[in-house]
Amino acid sequence: MIIPVPRLSRAGQRLAAGLFLLLLVALATALIAGRLDAADGEAEPDAIGSGTLLLQGKGVAEAMPAVRLGTDMDVTVSGQIARVRVTQAFRNTSASWMEATYLYPLPESGAVDSLKMVVGQRVIVGRIKRRVEARDIYEKAKAEGKKAGLVEQERPNMFRNSVANVGPGETVLIQIEYQAPVRQQGGEFSLRLPLVVGPRYVPPQSMADATAVADAGAVTAPLADPKLGKSLNPVSIAVHLAPGFAPANLISPYHKVAISDDGPQARTIRLADGSVPADRDFELRWRSATADPVLGVWHQKQHGKHYVMAAITPPTADAIGPVPPREMIFVIDNSGSMAGDSMAEAKKSLLHALDTLRPQDRFNVIRFDDTLTLLFEAPVAASADQVAIARRFTEGLDANGGTEMLPALKAALVDADPGSTMLRQLIFLTDGSISNEREMLEEVGAHAGRSRIFMVGIGSAPNNYLMTRMAEVGRGTYTNIGSAAEVEARMTALLDRLKAPAVRNLKVAVSGSAMEIVPADLPDLYAGEPLVLLGRADDLAGTLVVSGLIGDKPWRTEVRLADAIDSPAVARLWAKRRIDDVEVTRWMHVVNDATADETIAQLGLGFALVTSQTSLVAVDETPSRPAGERLRREELPLLLPAGWDFDVLFGGAGAKGKADVPGGGASVPEEEVEQVELPETATGFLGTIGQGALLLVAGLVGLWLMHRRGGRVPA
Amino acid sequence: MSIVPGLWGVRVFGRGLGRFVLAGLCFAGLMLIAKGAWIPAKAAVAQLLLERAFDRSLAAHAPVKAWGWADTAPVARISVPRLGRRQIVLGGGSGEAMAFGPTLLPAGAEAGEDGTTIIAAHRDTHFAFLGELRVGDAIDVEAVSGKRRRYRVARMAVVRWDGFNVQRHPARATLALASCWPLGAQARGPLRYVVWAVEG
Repeated sequence: MIIPVPRLSRAGQRLAAGLFLLLLVALATALIAGRLDAADGEAEPDAIGSGTLLLQGKGVAEAMPAVRLGTDMDVTVSGQIARVRVTQAFRNTSASWMEATYLYPLPESGAVDSLKMVVGQRVIVGRIKRRVEARDIYEKAKAEGKKAGLVEQERPNMFRNSVANVGPGETVLIQIEYQAPVRQQGGEFSLRLPLVVGPRYVPPQSMADATAVADAGAVTAPLADPKLGKSLNPVSIAVHLAPGFAPANLISPYHKVAISDDGPQARTIRLADGSVPADRDFELRWRSATADPVLGVWHQKQHGKHYVMAAITPPTADAIGPVPPREMIFVIDNSGSMAGDSMAEAKKSLLHALDTLRPQDRFNVIRFDDTLTLLFEAPVAASADQVAIARRFTEGLDANGGTEMLPALKAALVDADPGSTMLRQLIFLTDGSISNEREMLEEVGAHAGRSRIFMVGIGSAPNNYLMTRMAEVGRGTYTNIGSAAEVEARMTALLDRLKAPAVRNLKVAVSGSAMEIVPADLPDLYAGEPLVLLGRADDLAGTLVVSGLIGDKPWRTEVRLADAIDSPAVARLWAKRRIDDVEVTRWMHVVNDATADETIAQLGLGFALVTSQTSLVAVDETPSRPAGERLRREELPLLLPAGWDFDVLFGGAGAKGKADVPGGGASVPEEEVEQVELPETATGFLGTIGQGALLLVAGLVGLWLMHRRGGRVPA
Repeated sequence: MSIVPGLWGVRVFGRGLGRFVLAGLCFAGLMLIAKGAWIPAKAAVAQLLLERAFDRSLAAHAPVKAWGWADTAPVARISVPRLGRRQIVLGGGSGEAMAFGPTLLPAGAEAGEDGTTIIAAHRDTHFAFLGELRVGDAIDVEAVSGKRRRYRVARMAVVRWDGFNVQRHPARATLALASCWPLGAQARGPLRYVVWAVEG
């Protein structure tokens, strides 16, 4: 056997040359792509490395603020409605005249309707004005040295208080009041008082114009460095509970409380420790000592109109037959804001849910931070093997990076078979710490199709507004998990509810009077979740009829409007709910921005509510700051929500966004600070030389190879 | 055996074309290297010319252009005695000027004056030394007006290009030297490195 060595080697050479050419093409492509990228670098404002949560320039406060804040919350629960009085004391510990602003959360269903500013013995009552007008009044008073207070809404659940001209050593009280309906789920009532705004991730691509940048600045605040301790912004809470029945199973899952009896049907609940740091939401839950209470109807007459609130509880779902196969898409947030306890809770919740999948179900898992992974390209059958893969995937998740939720939502909404009647459920596990809520809701509004969206809010201070609205627009429900101990109970309850909606195709009709009812778009009802309807009518007569389908059987229930109990809160709750509805129509592009803004402004002015378009402003006409004294501005830092990991959020970027003034603390007079844009300062010549060298070497090696081959084979 | 003659012609033709492509590749590589090398060469040569122009400017107490067609003129000289670095700063703050030397940003104060003076330069040419600066280092600024100031490095910071705030009337004259961050990287990015120095 003679092996034709030269010929084989020639073939080998040809192969080598072919491979080499391929390599060249790849190299050239990479170079060109690389250059294009480099050219695009400036257009993309945030090519920042992952591993940091981007906070819009507010950074970390390392020194105690000059203005100290204390908050007291006094809550009165009567029946289904909670009225909350929040008093914030701004105490100036410095020797200068100060302006302070504080960003704080309220329940997403809360409606702020009162502002009082207390200066010494004087009480100044705030007036409702259009947002711009209120801001002007405040700025003018500030410039004239008068004390002024301003309440503005930054998000439906996020407000900012500003107080100007607080003298050295002086204390100014800002008192706001709001009301919110008590939440009821599966026979349990709950009241949630958010105490801190979690730092929000601002997606860089959402910062397209100056308005967006200003908006991102409005929803963020400096964070207190953990080394400052937890003594900042202490909160004391008292709840006077009069639910209309004897309360039982009274629990405060996240704070130690002391309970005292005020009679058979009333309790007073206070924090056991007097005051707590404002770093996690306060929640109170109770049940009825007797059978589940039958909820009724409430009524208020205002300016000649009748307002009605009705809570309709669907029948308990014992009649559900075998659960049909479902397609379940789990979306889990493993961004930096989840680092710490939240990630452990989210993983545990997801593992629990995976265990309940049956072989006839289909499922997929999507995880996201500022990147995104789909476990399977498309939903797969929930066989034992596939579920095992998903379990391993889940167990390996680590929290890091930014929170780009929109791409994950889009991926989850991709539906291969939109016409199918199979139940398709999206289960989102996240803390919702993002600032582009509107983009998310628009996406759900436009593309939910047959998918139902269930939000599981994780952590000590989730963004309840985003959660509630996404669940509502996505026709699902919202469940909150605030500690690891709750995972099992809450997830079991949620997964039970998910098996089938208790009532579908809901319709509401009123016989006897024409009534304007919100929400206009009725959700599916799930077992244990009451439907809260708010209506406005010219006269109060007839019955409210709610009908729908349980399984395939029709169901209906009636409420006699004449039975309504008087309550002074109903009109404003109606207005607040109506505003939410207007926001929904805005996301669905049913109405344009100008119309929506004007409708909201009219509702805000008419009912004296703080909205996105209206603010409360109070001015003490007595000038207090002497002319010539300078005013210093301070934005009060917030505590990091409990369980968040400071180092993951700010890992390696501790210096970023600090007040960039040498020796300057957090408080430098506003008019003294100027923002300067820094130019792009890199020539990148080493890169250019490197690319040139690569090309040169490639060319030379190629020529050398050809030369060798040419020498061996005579032409 | 039989396939070889069939491919023969293709190979001969392919070889000519291949040589041509490869030669082109070598040429493109050389051009890129030259283009890359031109940048630091230009930066270094310009500084020599600018040094002369600065001395003339000092004598004239007014900016004198280094070469006839230059669109900016020297406004100051900064030096770091510990590192033995000296550089001529150009006015205007434009990207073109930055190819020749550090530039004074018009948003800040004039060189050597009260307030905050901001100077920016490329991280891989004139301001490659920013990484070597330490807190306490002296930085001297000599303006064309003849005014001299000595600043001391107070601290360093990494900020976003649009997240940089300066105080208009600081208690002491302040100097900020800015360049892209990370200093050694090739990719563009939103971060900037700032060395803060105060007079004294």
